[in-house]
Amino acid sequence: MNAFSQTPLIEPSRELRDTCAIVGTATSRLGKVPGTSALDLMIEAIRNALDDAGLKASDVDGVLCRGPDDSYSHHQLVAERLGVNARFSTTLTNGGASQIMSVALAVMAIRFGLANTVVCGFARDTWSRTHANEEVRVRNETRPDSMLASDFAPEYGYFGATAAHAFGATRHMHLYGTTRDQFGEIAVAFREHALRNPQAQMKKPLTIEDYHAGRLIVAPFGIYDCSLRSDAAGAVIVTSAARAKDLRQPPVLIKGFGTHNNTRGWFADDNMVVTAAKQAGEAAYRMAGLGPQDVDTAQIYDCFTYMVLTQLEDYGFCKKGEGGPFVASGALRLGGALPCNTSGGQLSESHCEGMLQIVEGVRQMRHTYPQHRQVKDAEVALISGHGGNQVCHSTLILGRA
Amino acid sequence: MTGKPAKPKPRPAPESLPYWEAAKEHRLALPQCEDCEQFWFPPSRNCPHCLSMKSAFKTVSGRGKVFSFVTFHRVYRPAFAEDVPYVVALVELDEGPRLLTNILGIAPEEVRCEMPVEVVFDDYDADVSIPKFKPVSA
Repeated sequence: MNAFSQTPLIEPSRELRDTCAIVGTATSRLGKVPGTSALDLMIEAIRNALDDAGLKASDVDGVLCRGPDDSYSHHQLVAERLGVNARFSTTLTNGGASQIMSVALAVMAIRFGLANTVVCGFARDTWSRTHANEEVRVRNETRPDSMLASDFAPEYGYFGATAAHAFGATRHMHLYGTTRDQFGEIAVAFREHALRNPQAQMKKPLTIEDYHAGRLIVAPFGIYDCSLRSDAAGAVIVTSAARAKDLRQPPVLIKGFGTHNNTRGWFADDNMVVTAAKQAGEAAYRMAGLGPQDVDTAQIYDCFTYMVLTQLEDYGFCKKGEGGPFVASGALRLGGALPCNTSGGQLSESHCEGMLQIVEGVRQMRHTYPQHRQVKDAEVALISGHGGNQVCHSTLILGRA
Repeated sequence: MTGKPAKPKPRPAPESLPYWEAAKEHRLALPQCEDCEQFWFPPSRNCPHCLSMKSAFKTVSGRGKVFSFVTFHRVYRPAFAEDVPYVVALVELDEGPRLLTNILGIAPEEVRCEMPVEVVFDDYDADVSIPKFKPVSA
């Protein structure tokens, strides 16, 4: 690696600022939707998003949709069900970072004439897969050896994403004195937001006492540090800003995006405490011509409480190491300094691998929510996506037209 | 059903076979690049530091420190039901590479980041021994 390879000679991405808009957005039913597949939910969200935009399926010429990881060429199945031949169609495979990347790819495709109107979406049927009946539940809890890594993990009893992210939480607590009380405030704040959202999967209040009473899963994470298992889909419709002016909804401009991948590994360097959100965010801020001080609401990929805390630092909302006091101040609450995951997030609304964060960012920019859900006078939303064995990251900055 | 469920046994890929053959002899051996002399883990055909294809497994000190760790309370597989709570740690070896392992001989709540540790070998059966770590005795 050298300085040359890390620094673009020019910033061509600035030319993409405000060239495209999100003109439609919607979700499927969320949470526990037995009897449907991820594909069914994807179509449900896209139909709702097209209705929202005042468009028909035949207007769509780009499909950037993703489904469960075992679904081959998901975009093709989606386009087939929509009854369209798509000029531009693919599925990205960056885990929870894919959904924002698909919006970024849509902007590039539209800018360079490869598509006019692109649907970006994600769907999963995780709750149904893991809870359909007792046999299914047990099968999911006890995977066969053939599905595990061959060595260097399962022989030590190391399984799952909860443990992987918990390593980062332990390290952050060690370096900066971060506490479980501070993680707990994230869970409690997002639950409070979910109670304002009739669609949210979680319906009961959560106190900090409830948080501490929750059973430990992989310490330092307990049950309330972990995101939900959900059946869920979300979709957005992207088109040029010029065309957006003639459509039904107030367009929400795509002001900036950026990606970065700490592909040397989650366990390498300091990646578990300084995530790829740092470089992805810097790229998105440069494209948008904005900085963290301009962001009115953040919709952060909350697979686990700690990941919100570290990303807030990496995005510059506070200094590295000060995320604990920052969240403990109540900043993340509706009415706080940086209202965050205002629909409840993956911890309390539903886990849709970052797609619902995009949907919520768009809705906040439209100013159509009732007062108790609206971030007052919000002009700019920052949205994050994280995934792919903890190392892939993408950032989206939206703004009012 | 008879007996307890077996814990997963390492299934070495060709490039990690020398690691497990050394472990069977109770040696911790890592690939070292013959060009840039750096160690790395997990084993792979090429050196990730300089992309050289020339490397050999070399016995290392077996000493390092806990970079980070987690404590499993949930039983993800029945074979670990009697072990919870147990620690899985990321140990940074003196030679640089970090590897996942268990920390033995200490209560989970006593484990700390930066704690000095050294390798011990847990014999799975007559053919396989698994490198684990314990605190360096004062």
